[in-house]
Amino acid sequence: MAEKTAPARAVAERKRHTILMVSDFFYPNFGGVESHIYCLSQCLISLGHKVVIMTHSYGNRSGVRYMSNGLKVYYIPWRPFFLQNTLPTFYLTLPIMRNIFIRERISVVHGHQAFSTLCHEAIMHARTMGYNVVFTDHSLYGFADIGSIHMNKVLQFTLADVNHAICVSHTSKENTVLRSGLPPEKVFVIPNAVDAAMFNPAPKRLNCDEIVIVVISRLVYRKGADLLVEVIPEVCNLFPNVRFIIGGDGPKRLRLEEMREKHSLQDRVSMLGAVPHAQVRSVLISGHIFLNSSLTEAFCIAILEAACCGLLTVSTRVGGVPEVLPDDMVVLAEPVPSDMVLAIKKAIDRLPSIDPHAMHLRIKNLYSWHDVARRTEIVYDRAQRCSDENLLQRLSRYLNCGAWAGKLFCIVMIIDFLFWQFLQWWQPSEDIEVVPDLMRAGCGRGGDDAGRQC
Amino acid sequence: MSKIACSDSRYTYYREIRNGSLQTIDVHEIIVARSNGRIIFLCASILLLLLHQESQVIYIVGALLLSILVIISSQLRVVQKERVVIMPAFGVQLETYYWSGRVSRRLLSVGKILRPVLNEIVTPVRCYWSLALVLDGHEELMPVFQESQPPVKMLAPIWKALCAATGGEE
Repeated sequence: MAEKTAPARAVAERKRHTILMVSDFFYPNFGGVESHIYCLSQCLISLGHKVVIMTHSYGNRSGVRYMSNGLKVYYIPWRPFFLQNTLPTFYLTLPIMRNIFIRERISVVHGHQAFSTLCHEAIMHARTMGYNVVFTDHSLYGFADIGSIHMNKVLQFTLADVNHAICVSHTSKENTVLRSGLPPEKVFVIPNAVDAAMFNPAPKRLNCDEIVIVVISRLVYRKGADLLVEVIPEVCNLFPNVRFIIGGDGPKRLRLEEMREKHSLQDRVSMLGAVPHAQVRSVLISGHIFLNSSLTEAFCIAILEAACCGLLTVSTRVGGVPEVLPDDMVVLAEPVPSDMVLAIKKAIDRLPSIDPHAMHLRIKNLYSWHDVARRTEIVYDRAQRCSDENLLQRLSRYLNCGAWAGKLFCIVMIIDFLFWQFLQWWQPSEDIEVVPDLMRAGCGRGGDDAGRQC
Repeated sequence: MSKIACSDSRYTYYREIRNGSLQTIDVHEIIVARSNGRIIFLCASILLLLLHQESQVIYIVGALLLSILVIISSQLRVVQKERVVIMPAFGVQLETYYWSGRVSRRLLSVGKILRPVLNEIVTPVRCYWSLALVLDGHEELMPVFQESQPPVKMLAPIWKALCAATGGEE
């Protein structure tokens, strides 16, 4: 009998997890968090784990749906009330969540996005019921305004008892640790990735006689749309052979259109409106330079997608952006119009030396969803090794959240615990049927889906 | 004639295969146990609420009458058992028996049933399995069990029998 090699033994010894991803943000909504959850889930399934997703209902999309590779999605019939978030009820989601945790035999609950109320409630209920919990923060938040103060207090409450947290950049880790008071050793940094199979350069390199600068983002204040209003006329004035393509929609679109009219740039600035995600690549490959003017970004998948398509990136030096791309693929600038114009000039000068296909290959090697999934798997294994604690031991962590807030959080958790005990009596766990595991035999350990990045 | 049974705290499942002269009739029966505990809890809550507010005789009598009314009305609507009678060459009859003695029956011809399906129903507070029929010419599914929610271990053999009778693949 052939002896197992050390790597094979290690693979065999790795535990199979049943992961519940919880967030208010998922398909049919489209964005960074949504695609992160989907791609990560698909890669975890290819590693042999079972993944179930829980989100709120979207219109008529309510109940259970199945996506590729047996990815099961629960669309809970709780309607969103503000910015795609479920109404925060504290305790009313406990029955349905308990039901799902038991019937799917969940081993790890993984919440996404600090702004998701469903995520916070899931983490609270999961800890009450003794499940291991991991939280991923996708955004940076401030400290000074009233909204941020409240959000940070909620985060402090939620993360007081979480097993581990994941941030998408080192800047984001620092931000999360400061906001929540979580010990840094509990926080892992796992960056986002890009589907290199979907974002590849144009087969033929574009002519540099006319330089096209592409902007694709939501046209909101946070994404620096006001900066664009200042930068675009200046660049068009300095460089007669430059034109802009702007994709995206939002409240600042009117300002950009007014700018276009005021400076008579209708033939040099094209406004495409909202661009479906499936068409983003075709817009990107029509340009030479990608311009990102965000005022805050934890990671910025957009510049990664642009670099993967072979575009040279000009971006504001904010948040986690400097950590994303190597120096030769990005030109960074301060978020002021004059510095951004200088950065665009540098990028135009650097264009002849850019090889889009070489850039694509480098990004493909640097970022991969399979790598993200393997690193996330390590976090799950660490979370499983955390010791089980009873309610009294856990309450001491909530007490540290503040003089008054700590006591309030303790009361909330005690009521949650009592409600859970009532549910254990009203509907015992034995009465909740376990769902049979219908994963395909082909989704085994170590098997990558051929020709599919995520 | 053969009988197979399994049960849990709320439901008891019987299967009876009757070999008739013309064809075999497959009868699946789900008997619902009476849930007295919940009725007592409900009545006790009403009594406590009313007696807490007033201690006069008229209110006590009113509370008692209300409790009796609640018990009777709940019993009248309560399902005693539900039955699925499968006649392979003919059709499927869905029957619901209430404690009041009322019986509701619906006959579906085999040709009208496209496929029986096992669904997971998600409500704001729980999830459960449900057996339903996809009918020709109907947009909505028809639940096989209108009132009760038996567990999937009881629904699975009924689903298999319906698949066999309607010629669908499992």
